[in-house]
Amino acid sequence: MTTYAFLLDLGRCIGCQACVAACKTGNELSPGVQYIHISEQTRGVFPALQSSIKNHRCYHCADAACVAVCPTGALYKEDGLTRLDASQCSGCAYCVDACPFNVPQLVNGRSNKCDGCAEVVKAGGQPWCVKTCPSNALMYGERETIMAEAHRRAEALRVRYPHAQVYGETQLGGLGVVMVLPDQPEQLDLPANPQIPAVLNTWQNVVQPASVGLLGFSLAFTGLAAIIARRNHKQEVAHLHVQNSAEETAAVQPDHANET
Amino acid sequence: MARTKLQISRRNFLKSSLLSAAALSISSCSAQPLATVLNQNGLRLPWFRTGEIKTTYNYCDMCPWRCGIVVKSVDGQIYKVDGNPADPKSRGMLCARGQAGPSFVYDPDRLRAPMIRTGARGEGKFKEVTWAEALDYTAEKLKITGQAFGPEAVAVFGHTSGDFWFTDYFAQAWGTPNAAKPSSSLCTSPREEAAKLTYGLPIGGHEPVDWDAINCIVLIGSHIGEDARNTVMQDFANAWARGAKVIVVDPRFSNVAAKADYWLPIKPGTDTALLLAWLNVLINEERYDKAYVADWTTGLEALAAHVAPFTPEWAAEITDLPAESIRATARLMADNLPQAAIIPGRHVTWYGNDTQRMRAIYMINALLGAYGREGGIYFSKSPYIEAYPHPPFAVTGSSGGCSAEPGQESAELPLGPTGKARADGARTNFLRGATAMQELIPPMISGEPYPIKALIVYGVNLLNSIPNPQRTIEALKKLDFVLAVDVLPQEHVAWADVVFPEATALERYDELWVVAHKTPYIAMREPAIEPLYDTKPAWWMVRELGLRLGMEPYFRWETAEEYLDARLLSIGSSLDKMRQTNGVIVQQGKPYFEDFAGESPFPTASGKIELYSDELASAGFEPMPTYEPVAEPPAGYFRLLYGRHPVHTFAKTQNTPLLNELYPENELWLNEDEAGRQGITNGQYVWLENQDGARSGPIKVKATQRIRSDAVYMVHGFGQNAPELSRANGQGASDTKLQTTYALDPISGGAGMRVNFVRIVKEV
Repeated sequence: MTTYAFLLDLGRCIGCQACVAACKTGNELSPGVQYIHISEQTRGVFPALQSSIKNHRCYHCADAACVAVCPTGALYKEDGLTRLDASQCSGCAYCVDACPFNVPQLVNGRSNKCDGCAEVVKAGGQPWCVKTCPSNALMYGERETIMAEAHRRAEALRVRYPHAQVYGETQLGGLGVVMVLPDQPEQLDLPANPQIPAVLNTWQNVVQPASVGLLGFSLAFTGLAAIIARRNHKQEVAHLHVQNSAEETAAVQPDHANET
Repeated sequence: MARTKLQISRRNFLKSSLLSAAALSISSCSAQPLATVLNQNGLRLPWFRTGEIKTTYNYCDMCPWRCGIVVKSVDGQIYKVDGNPADPKSRGMLCARGQAGPSFVYDPDRLRAPMIRTGARGEGKFKEVTWAEALDYTAEKLKITGQAFGPEAVAVFGHTSGDFWFTDYFAQAWGTPNAAKPSSSLCTSPREEAAKLTYGLPIGGHEPVDWDAINCIVLIGSHIGEDARNTVMQDFANAWARGAKVIVVDPRFSNVAAKADYWLPIKPGTDTALLLAWLNVLINEERYDKAYVADWTTGLEALAAHVAPFTPEWAAEITDLPAESIRATARLMADNLPQAAIIPGRHVTWYGNDTQRMRAIYMINALLGAYGREGGIYFSKSPYIEAYPHPPFAVTGSSGGCSAEPGQESAELPLGPTGKARADGARTNFLRGATAMQELIPPMISGEPYPIKALIVYGVNLLNSIPNPQRTIEALKKLDFVLAVDVLPQEHVAWADVVFPEATALERYDELWVVAHKTPYIAMREPAIEPLYDTKPAWWMVRELGLRLGMEPYFRWETAEEYLDARLLSIGSSLDKMRQTNGVIVQQGKPYFEDFAGESPFPTASGKIELYSDELASAGFEPMPTYEPVAEPPAGYFRLLYGRHPVHTFAKTQNTPLLNELYPENELWLNEDEAGRQGITNGQYVWLENQDGARSGPIKVKATQRIRSDAVYMVHGFGQNAPELSRANGQGASDTKLQTTYALDPISGGAGMRVNFVRIVKEV
């Protein structure tokens, strides 16, 4: 199965927010809702300064915590990206708490986040942010192609920034947004090795299967109990009939004692 | 019985659910039912699936760069604007402001109907009237003014892309040379005049930097990325990623400075000293393109003697930059010549000595051999197309400013029908250049050199762009008649007698966008939807006024389409044909020396780049730039610097819902250590008071290491006092209102605005 990915080149990004506006208009996001947030990061003391742009958005983790915790299947993986079918969302907000990057938000009681412009892409287009990016910091395509381009760009960037590197190749099973970083991730407010919280692993690998098992067990047990109860009930009823008919036989002439 | 009943109902149940599934799958083909179904579930069908998408061609009006766009509308509603892939500027991409084009159209605060003033001027009280009433009233007032004082007594200020109709077409047909655009004397006049004085060519609307092959980029104050001109961001990013070296001179660590190989945090106001030192290094170390300089420049010897004392050590003292950095950066430029250039800035009206500073920049580019060389500064060419065949105008030549085609400007000032030249002091207070808007304000107050009695203001945010707005208000009080044409109830609209509500660029036809470029091109504008409310396009307004003012010969055309098709016919095209080529016609350029077949591309007296300017010398100016110190901030004050934010344009977009959401108020950049010394914390609101006691509204402090401690910085265009703008009103602080003074550039008429100082007031 082909997996797709975004390239996000933070070397090229100049912070113009064209992606933010294209995303908002293309996806008709309500006032106050943004799938992409741009902010500056500055390090050092005047005049020895370094600065870069933070581009906060859904990174489409392969091991997506939001998908793991979603009880309704509203969040799911498709083509390497994390999709959201809001009509399935129950508004439990587990995804809001689980995401290691703080991405999903509840909007009107439903989870809300970038779905990689699923409709546009399936119709043969490019995600809105990618289509408009003036600094060519964004690309979208097959993950292999994107990964190769990311490595090419990171290597070229190392002439300027010795710590330039690719981020997202392995993190959380590989991100669907592969980043070219001009510096170490920690310098750019990104965890070098992001983890799904252990609690979530327990939730996904132990609690959820266990709960399914328990549910099956309880159903089976209930069924068994019902069968036993019914058998007992029948036996009791039969026993009562036997007693009654014995008494009735003694009183009047019985002619249909065993018909019930 | 019971069992039979259950079976039937189960069958019915299965049938009905199959039917509804089928209905659902059918309904996804015909959008409306599914949309309804989704709506019932609190969800929404994306706009691009709700109906037939209508695509129209346009050029963006959200900033003056004017990228080609395709506008997508469905059922009479505009949903999305994208860059036009066929357009040489946008190349299919678009900035945040362009993306907000539909948001600008659907701003609920828009002016909706023509209005005539009922209260006192400035009070903002109006009654809605019909177009006929508004036009008749305006025509009557203009007629009275013209008869009493001559047509020159009407000034026309215009900005944004419909300004052609009022500032060029109407003003020239009516007969006033007092038509001005802020893009000249409040922005680019010094760089245009310096370019014409030095090598005979204007810069033009699109800076002719040959980005594809440049290897060393020098930016002086240009903050690409924050100044979000789409093409420039694309070109810069590509050149940078290719490995081009970048030198940024800026008192502030801008986003582009963060990408630079050298950031020179210069002391504000000392740029010319740095430029002279760079000239000194290039000449002293003989690091210039000798053959090019010998062939194509005059005055090198004089220049060499002139800059001999201006060593990097001399400049280091003045600029607060290390001499080694000055030397190293000059060498870096030289190492990459001729694929190296200082990029002509855009807003260059800083200190009043700006034409001379720009000349120093162009001299360095000349020594680097950049002009007409691949990877340097190419020669831009205007596309060929005829003007509409109207009768000769009452005022001929360019009165409006930057609309003049290269080579068509007259050395003589154009005269109005009663023999009066511009009232802005050209030739007396300043040497040359486009009409200086701010210099037309004093004649409105003093009546000197002659009275200006009426003002038409089209799309200029009068009180948030011209420095010394207090003086502008005085003028507005004195005028006999003020017509404001605008989309929004901007601050100055309250001062109008009549208000014409304009249809936005996405709702109208408009003059062609004719662009001097490496590949000269023409772009078209057509409406995506009918104008909202009772709004009209500018071409319709000027025509209706013209017909009421006895100017019929200029308005033989009845519709914009007719006008446009007449122009396009001169190049064998039409609106229909332009649509076939995606709304753009691209022509062949002549970017390099090779394209001139041995002829000089420089239309100067000498046919060469004039390092020494005889023209300036004979007019009594320094023939070569010198460093003149500018006034320093008094103790306790900071120099007030201002600039751009990527999601806003001037004072136009602060109320646009989408852009307002992304950046609702400006911030005061203040050096973090300085903030600590003053006991000010990041995020705290403060007030500013300038050297003349003018106060700003409260502004949030951004305490940062990214700026020098002798200056503060804010994004221009905020702090508007316009109660009808529900989002922008009173948000942030206005730099313009703190610019109670400016320094007039005696050569270009530019208004240098970085000569104002502010102190921080913590409590009021």
